[in-house]
Amino acid sequence: MTKRLTIAIYDFTDCEGCEVVLSTLKENLLALEDRFDIVNWRLAQDACKDGPYDVTIIEGTPVTGDEIALLKELREKSGAIVALGACASIAGIPGIMDKGEREKWYKKIYGPEYKPIGVDSLPLAAYVRVEHMIHGCPVNAGELVRTIEELASGKKPKYRDYSVCFDCKEAGNTCRLLNDKICFGPITQGGCKAVCISGGSPCYGCFGLREDANIDGLVRILRWASSPKEIRGHLKIFFNHIPEYKDAFESALKRGRTKRP
Amino acid sequence: MWCIKTSEKEKLLTALKGAYDFRDVSSSDLPPKKLFFPEREITFTHLVKDGSVTTPPPPRKFVLYGLSLRDLEAITCLDEIMSAPEKDYYYFRRRRRALLIGVTGEAFDVPPGGDIIISSIDADTSKLLSVTEKGERAIKKHLPRLKKSKSPQAVPVKNDTMPDLRNLLMDAELLKVAVEWSWHGYKKLWEKLSRECLGCGICTYVCPLCHCFAAEDSVALSGDEAVRCRRWDACTLPVFARLGGGEDMHPGLRERYYNWFYHKFVRGYLEFGRSECVACGRCQRDCPARIDIEAVLLDIVSAYSKSAQRRRRYR
Repeated sequence: MTKRLTIAIYDFTDCEGCEVVLSTLKENLLALEDRFDIVNWRLAQDACKDGPYDVTIIEGTPVTGDEIALLKELREKSGAIVALGACASIAGIPGIMDKGEREKWYKKIYGPEYKPIGVDSLPLAAYVRVEHMIHGCPVNAGELVRTIEELASGKKPKYRDYSVCFDCKEAGNTCRLLNDKICFGPITQGGCKAVCISGGSPCYGCFGLREDANIDGLVRILRWASSPKEIRGHLKIFFNHIPEYKDAFESALKRGRTKRP
Repeated sequence: MWCIKTSEKEKLLTALKGAYDFRDVSSSDLPPKKLFFPEREITFTHLVKDGSVTTPPPPRKFVLYGLSLRDLEAITCLDEIMSAPEKDYYYFRRRRRALLIGVTGEAFDVPPGGDIIISSIDADTSKLLSVTEKGERAIKKHLPRLKKSKSPQAVPVKNDTMPDLRNLLMDAELLKVAVEWSWHGYKKLWEKLSRECLGCGICTYVCPLCHCFAAEDSVALSGDEAVRCRRWDACTLPVFARLGGGEDMHPGLRERYYNWFYHKFVRGYLEFGRSECVACGRCQRDCPARIDIEAVLLDIVSAYSKSAQRRRRYR
């Protein structure tokens, strides 16, 4: 067998839900311990060795100056950086923040004395090179295991090339779009098992954009039943800080409404 | 053929439910193919320890109940597809274990497939037809005292799903020629459709005849075993026709969506002499972009016919 890889698991600003998924993998966590040396994991163990690390898994959004500095330091110390969950991969929930409004809310919530420590809320890839992103809010346990398996067997982890629609059909759901409800499933990477849609919620796209997604085509359909304001509202949850998605949506929204067939 | 009362039908179904796994698919969104060709299926597991390769055990014998005539036709067609160039082991080990029961109010001259077809005649009477020996054996075993009767008269229900496409399918050659022509002869249509199609893959997942799959290999975290899984693929997805090295045979949605039609109406005709479509209507019903697939095909055939007339005129 090849040499045991060293892994470090770090977290920035987030809810730590994805680490909970990681720590509740049961027998797979034991297998992970067997194959890898987890040398640094603040949340789950006392041992916190300094790098270099073969693989650094990072959860959360680097929000403060310290977090951004640590991220850059980890890049230097790591063979590969893997983003764990939407906060790390696409800025997730911290990314909902509206930078222009921040001063006002700081004053209102924390008072005039408060000295803000937040710089911005951008995904890891805005600061450093990221080898792979495990998407999801939270991540799907199966996808997490798949990624680690691929790393362990020396493969370059792959992104899912199908849409959430595959998971959704497999789950036996009725298509939301056919019922005039907003859904980003067709343009979003699959692998999530369509848990949100099965539970009656829309797909907000936490698994990130699927390769070669037809955003124009989706907006055309959404506009039959939803206003630009509603669509932008849904977009804000996960795509607020990803200009590629936002710009594509904005230019599609500018095209106006087409006639429903 | 037998004429049975509702009580006898219930008796038969109760007996079958006891003897087999019973799957009622009459209200299922996904096509019956999933019982023979599941969304994901582990094809083999390789153990590192002893180098053995094992296949998961096949399912128990099961009854597939509630199939429409068009679904029966689709299964007959898929059986043929999965037999060429050689029999698909995984498909047929499930298929062999299935007893297919069609349920219909429609009239038919030749049964399109299945083992048993139950046609309703009126509220209390049904016609029970054994299509295969397997079906006949199942009926005789579970309803032993039934006497054969003459064909009773029923008022058939009309199936109004995609009636025009159903007619078009009668001339598979015309469909083949027209769809093939449209790629160069009716570019405008494919440009329009490539803007509308989301490439989500739903039309292939819900099609009772789409059968393309991707192979996914994984090595267990323990390093002890490797598993190959086959998963439904869709030709409208970006990686479907990508080759090693990055070359893509279908670089855009235009090529991808056209391929869906090409396989059904051109390749299907070339390989099997028929369209790989039974006009079940699922693709149209479930397309989130509301693409009217029947209208698209009618449009293609009409544009082709006009173009053919023009060509004749100038010859």
